[in-house]
Amino acid sequence: MADGTTGISAGALHGFAPSARRSGLARFARRRSTIAVLMCLPLIALIAGLVVYPFFYSIYLSMLNRDATRFIGLFNYRYLLRSDTFHLVIFQSCFFAITAVFFKALIGFVLAHVMHNISGRGQRIWRGLLLIPWVIPPALSTLGFWWMLSGNYSALNWILAQFGIPQVAWLSNTWTARLWVAAVNVWYGTPFFMIMYLATLKSVPDQLYEAAAIDGATWLQKIRYISLPMLRNIISITVLFSLIVTFANFDIVQILTSGAPADTTHVFATYAFQLGIQGGNISLGAAVSLFIFPILAVFSIFILRGVGRRAREAQ
Amino acid sequence: MKRLRSVSRRDALKLAAVGAALPLVHMRTAHAAGSLKVALWDHWVPAANPVMQKLVADWGAKNKVDISIDLLQSGTVNAKILLAPAAESLAGTGHDIMTFQDWGVQQYHQHLEPIDDVMGGLIKQYGAIDKVAEYLGKADGHWRGVPTSVGSQYKPSCARISWFKKAGYDVQQWYPNAPGNAKTAAAWTYETMLKLAPAAQKAGMPFGLGLGLTTDSVDWTGAFLAANGAQLVDAKGNMQLRSDAVQKALEYMQKLYPYLPADSVTYDDASNNKALISGQSALIFNPPSAWWVARRDAPKVAEDCWTFPSPNGTAGRLNPYLPFFWGVWSFSPNKTAAKELISWLQQREQVETLCDASVGYDIPPFASMHDFKIWAEVKPPVGTVYNYPIRPWHDTQSNIAGYPAPPRIAVQLYNNATFNVMVVKLAKNKQKMKDVLDWAENEISGYINM
Amino acid sequence: MSGAVVTAEAVARRSWLKPSISRERRWALWVSYIVLIFFAIGFLAPPYFELITALKTSQQLGSGKDPWFTAHPYFGNFIGIITNPDFQTFFLNTVKVTIIVVALTLVMSILAAYALARMRFFGSQVFATGVFLTYLVPESLLFIPLFKVLSFLHLINSTWCLVLIWPTLSVPFCTWIMIGYFSSIPKELDEAAMIDGASHLQMLWKIFIPVALPGIIAATIFAFTVCWGDFLYPLAYLFTGKQMVLTAGIVSDLIHGDVLDWGHIMAANVVASAPPVIIYAFLMDYYIAGLTAGATKG
Repeated sequence: MADGTTGISAGALHGFAPSARRSGLARFARRRSTIAVLMCLPLIALIAGLVVYPFFYSIYLSMLNRDATRFIGLFNYRYLLRSDTFHLVIFQSCFFAITAVFFKALIGFVLAHVMHNISGRGQRIWRGLLLIPWVIPPALSTLGFWWMLSGNYSALNWILAQFGIPQVAWLSNTWTARLWVAAVNVWYGTPFFMIMYLATLKSVPDQLYEAAAIDGATWLQKIRYISLPMLRNIISITVLFSLIVTFANFDIVQILTSGAPADTTHVFATYAFQLGIQGGNISLGAAVSLFIFPILAVFSIFILRGVGRRAREAQ
Repeated sequence: MKRLRSVSRRDALKLAAVGAALPLVHMRTAHAAGSLKVALWDHWVPAANPVMQKLVADWGAKNKVDISIDLLQSGTVNAKILLAPAAESLAGTGHDIMTFQDWGVQQYHQHLEPIDDVMGGLIKQYGAIDKVAEYLGKADGHWRGVPTSVGSQYKPSCARISWFKKAGYDVQQWYPNAPGNAKTAAAWTYETMLKLAPAAQKAGMPFGLGLGLTTDSVDWTGAFLAANGAQLVDAKGNMQLRSDAVQKALEYMQKLYPYLPADSVTYDDASNNKALISGQSALIFNPPSAWWVARRDAPKVAEDCWTFPSPNGTAGRLNPYLPFFWGVWSFSPNKTAAKELISWLQQREQVETLCDASVGYDIPPFASMHDFKIWAEVKPPVGTVYNYPIRPWHDTQSNIAGYPAPPRIAVQLYNNATFNVMVVKLAKNKQKMKDVLDWAENEISGYINM
Repeated sequence: MSGAVVTAEAVARRSWLKPSISRERRWALWVSYIVLIFFAIGFLAPPYFELITALKTSQQLGSGKDPWFTAHPYFGNFIGIITNPDFQTFFLNTVKVTIIVVALTLVMSILAAYALARMRFFGSQVFATGVFLTYLVPESLLFIPLFKVLSFLHLINSTWCLVLIWPTLSVPFCTWIMIGYFSSIPKELDEAAMIDGASHLQMLWKIFIPVALPGIIAATIFAFTVCWGDFLYPLAYLFTGKQMVLTAGIVSDLIHGDVLDWGHIMAANVVASAPPVIIYAFLMDYYIAGLTAGATKG
């Protein structure tokens, strides 16, 4: 690889910027792209073998019958679309993902700004403290939440009892269960947003804020006219990334409610687990999981288009 | 192999026919050697696993088979007992002997070796096998999995003696820890249970009966339905949703629901245990695992517990039954040794050893083995689990939710907890009966056409 | 680079030390602290609760009294967990595999990011976006077909299968971080090095990596956290205790059917959460600085 670049003229090396000198460049460009592809090869192999191939295999799997002996085309998908329970699952997954991501972004945004106001060493301590939810393995912290919220020993109800407030069966009422599932996800994911936004905020020059202050801008106006535009890209990226990851979440719902009460907290991943692994109909489980893909693809197209447009405008 | 070459083909066939007629355990074949990979259920009784592992290791040493054991857990969160069979059936490689929970044999039967020879021998030795075990273990007319005692459990009543006494009923007199007759327990019916539920709730000890989606909740409602002659789908695969019996069952549940704990609709398998151990429940439907933990963590509660069969319904008394099976994958390279090991482990002596190690939690699938001493000896109080296995005079049978519908439909009724969801929609969400029945009809016709 | 950020920060902050502090500034500071305290309580209550639960005996837990404090802390759960050879195996396995995967992730994503950020080739833009979109295919979908792939490679029930599949979780995002960071390095540096006759690999090693170190640390931390906390893949593919990692191992060893050992589970949670917390405590600044440059290019 190294010797590919030795006999090359200095002028040709300016090929990073579009150059009119194409004669000796053609060969170099080809060589460079070979090197580039070679450098990407591990990544390509990883994705091809462990993501793309299994993805297509699962599409094939979802079109087999229960015993995986016959090809039945789109039967599983038609069955799901006609099932009321599955409609519930679609609604719940969207509600869970959109609500959780919205609050994660909002709280992360607020915390990033608030953190930005605090001076150096203090900020470090607060940063460390508020980061803890994200570093604890979510499967384990959700077990803690389950213990805290459910049944006879609910620690949360104990606090309420101290104030004389009647007990609530948090995970047994549809809407409180849904909210708590989203809340646990927000608890877990907000630090990530906070850190990403804080990092970007630090690169926003303070002079902008000071100039705005001199002009008499309120804090709301500062946020609206300075912070938001500067952070728009990172907000888009984090929201998209989190939407994708939250939509496909398994750990939190499975450990907290496993879909109860009466299937009203099921999301795609847990419903796929119930139908596929517990019910033994792996093809149906695969079909449920595959429903995530088109929904996420739509989100991605919209958001990445926005990001791309802004990147082009910036250039 | 060499021996067979010098024998005529007819003689070889005769030899094989004779050999197949004998119970497998008496046949010392020349092929029982090599290695075996065994996947067993991870018993929650800490002492039980080492006993099993030692038994298997001793057998392996005696028969010159290299055995490696993996333990699979069951549970909502770590459902290895469900993931492992799925993985290995898809992959076509894995263990030789695999453990299956309830519906597992039905789900993977095309990948399982027919095991009629082992079962034939065992039935000849020990008599009739449990009807539900046969329903779950046979597919396409062949036995595909051997019902085992390890992990198999009933979920009968586990009640607080003192509370029931205060309510006017002596559970120890219903089911004393000595041979008796079914008449003493005539008062223990679902009607009585409904009558007592309000009092229990008022006393702060509501009956811990779950309406969630996990096995504990589905098992007891399934037994309740069958004990009252109700079926969602009958044995021929026809929907019986709109029958009177189902209607009556739903109305019963509507009446019972207000007196159940507030979080009963999200009960998982550990919730009723917690309810009993904390002293906040007068009755649960559970195997003795809850009592066992109470013995360690809440001795006063444990001393006050008595286990006995489920209530009587209009069509009989049925205990919810959750059996485990051992099966041999058809891709196993050492089927002979696998079958021999399974057969040996099912001998009464081994079953009793394992039962003792599990403190009486395991239930053998043969009624002739329901007389082990362990159930009479476990304490405190003495006799607390004497009536846990089904005794001949109990006039009780076993049941699994969904039985007797065709297994491929029943497993969906079971896993999707269809009846429980109906009850929650009706009793908690206060939906109209017509809407609930329409929803269920849509769901169940989907299962039938699947 | 982080040094420069800190200095600028310090200069900006010192302004509030001036005697003529505006009332608005002070008010903003108060509000900030109140908000921070509120969220700190919310964020830290569950871990605190887990800690207290871990310090109780199972009898105390069974009674359900006083869930938020303990008068006589019981250390038996922690001692039991730390001295449990199974738990030690889980811990060592997790450390071993996570370190290997993080190293692999860095190699793969740095190479790919360099190629995508610096070397324009046919389809590189599409590919860069495509890398990010691999997250569209989640674990909960992939784990079933991966049964077949992994058993074909004889990796089922071996810790090494995680070395193969965990990079799918970390590499795309780390590549994206590194692309952002590499893009922000001025091209004049490249050109100067090229003129001196450096090859691509030398450039990468001698210039990009040292300058992009904060970004690399950011990627390290992300990869570490993702691998350390992954649950579904270990649960699905590892059966034997000796091969398990922390998340799946804790749940498998301490939860049997309907019998959960809560005190030990919480103690295990605390011990299992300690390494990421400690690592973060040390590398936090680099993480922030690393994300700063990467994020703005996103």
